[in-house]
Amino acid sequence: MITAAALCPSPPLLAREVTGRDPVVPELRQACAEAVGRLVRCEPDVIVVVGPAPVTARWPAGRRLDLSAFAPHAASADMPDGAGAPEVASAHHLASAASALASDQPRPPDGHPPLPLPLGLGARLLDQAGYAGPRLLEAVGYDEPAAGCVALGEQIAASGGRVGLLIMADGSARRGPRAPGYLDERAAAFDAAVEDAVRDGDLGALLGIDPVLAGELLAAGRPAWQVLAGAAPERPPGAEILYSDDPFGVAYLVAWIPGQGRRPGSDPRT
Amino acid sequence: MSGEVTGPGELRLGRRAFGPRQRLVMAIVNRTPDSFYDRGSTWDEAAAMDRVHQVVAENADIVDIGGVPAAPGSVVDVGEEIRRTVPFVAAVRSAHPDVVISVDTWRHEPARELCAAGADLINDTWGGWDQRLAEVAAEYGVGLVCSHAGGLPPRTRPHRVAYDDVVADVLSRTLAAASRAVRMGVDPARVLIDPAHDFGKNTWHSLEVTRRLGELVATGWPVLVSLSNKDFVGETLNAALGERVTGTLAATAVSAWLGARVFRAHQVRETRQVLDMVSAILGELPPARTVRGLA
Repeated sequence: MITAAALCPSPPLLAREVTGRDPVVPELRQACAEAVGRLVRCEPDVIVVVGPAPVTARWPAGRRLDLSAFAPHAASADMPDGAGAPEVASAHHLASAASALASDQPRPPDGHPPLPLPLGLGARLLDQAGYAGPRLLEAVGYDEPAAGCVALGEQIAASGGRVGLLIMADGSARRGPRAPGYLDERAAAFDAAVEDAVRDGDLGALLGIDPVLAGELLAAGRPAWQVLAGAAPERPPGAEILYSDDPFGVAYLVAWIPGQGRRPGSDPRT
Repeated sequence: MSGEVTGPGELRLGRRAFGPRQRLVMAIVNRTPDSFYDRGSTWDEAAAMDRVHQVVAENADIVDIGGVPAAPGSVVDVGEEIRRTVPFVAAVRSAHPDVVISVDTWRHEPARELCAAGADLINDTWGGWDQRLAEVAAEYGVGLVCSHAGGLPPRTRPHRVAYDDVVADVLSRTLAAASRAVRMGVDPARVLIDPAHDFGKNTWHSLEVTRRLGELVATGWPVLVSLSNKDFVGETLNAALGERVTGTLAATAVSAWLGARVFRAHQVRETRQVLDMVSAILGELPPARTVRGLA
């Protein structure tokens, strides 16, 4: 049962050390910390981090973010932790992910495939919030169809106990002439529809997102939103938007989606 | 280093030959209304020709003429690119028969027309997106710049680009392109490699490439760098577009020290002075005139 969900974007610049001497987006980091802090204070039995990646796969929970590929020579607070290639949990192995996984994962020189950025940033947010409980790192494939995302979400929700969700997802990167993806006139309406669905608690509407359009708009978060929709299709009104802006032409949305299953007497917002 | 170069490390461009210790200035002349730095200052043909006269007078070794900005924006199709650049290159060739002309294009159709009009070097900054450039260079006996853009399509910006080792990627792509060019018949003495700062790279990557430029130089291919007023300078110093000359010249000095040979620049005079100073410090160029303490 999904006890609550936090939604955060996953740009590399969410990591303080990659923006150089200027913090650049302290308010974005603060909003993410607020959302994740509330999630942690719900005291879930497990927190599942969900983020897009080349293939759908579960990553070892001990893995951490390595930013050296984005910012060589920058000081890094997190070093990759220990072992291993990602496992593909057969419970949600929906495409030919296993064989794809073996051949497609990039292999850095030390032999470890790099942890997908959204999962790494999510793991870091949990660490920074002081979370020491159980966690799962679930990558959902960029091309995972909606049905697959829904199934993954349902499995996460049904996995027993009180599950907290940390959804790492980005909107369009084509928000203006200076955006990384330049301007696509369709981006604003696309991102507004996602925000409305989240705010209004109508997560089922996220299932209607056209993956082709999302791809054209460089909205990498599409599969992660659809996992959210599969895990928690109907939320009571009260989703709170903590941040919604595109300072660099990429749509960042931070949201807190409370739900049933809080421990009696606790309010994670205090 | 591959194959049959006439003198050790000689770089041939047009009718000129440059030894390995000669550092060259490639002067930027944009035939665009909207390039990031000059913003149309040489869009007018007369203004552009004035700029050519000026940079030649400032001892630029190469004049680099381009008709399409690197940033995304209004489409410039092949026909428009040809219109902007080919008659102009012919006019420059006519006015300055011996100057080395390079053409900043990634497409083979304009490249062919530009070579026919007198260009000596195809300066492709988009990493060989159009593989037929090497054919054109071979056909016309001109040079080719083999650059690294990380696989990015032309006129796109890097978005969360990541490299396990950016310099390894630069080496791998540029060396493969250089070898291929020679196999296609381009004179190996007319091939350069260029890490293409900021193309498919963020500021960290561009700084790393600069820091490790020696690894590119060690390949033996002449290294071209295009640093001028770029965003990696702006982001390093928090400097707006018009305030990046000092940072550019610092990066120029470091790159020259590390062995780069061609420097694509907006500020020709200042760049020439930096290169001469570095060459003198390295002992590769005598100072201009020394009398003090020697009389």
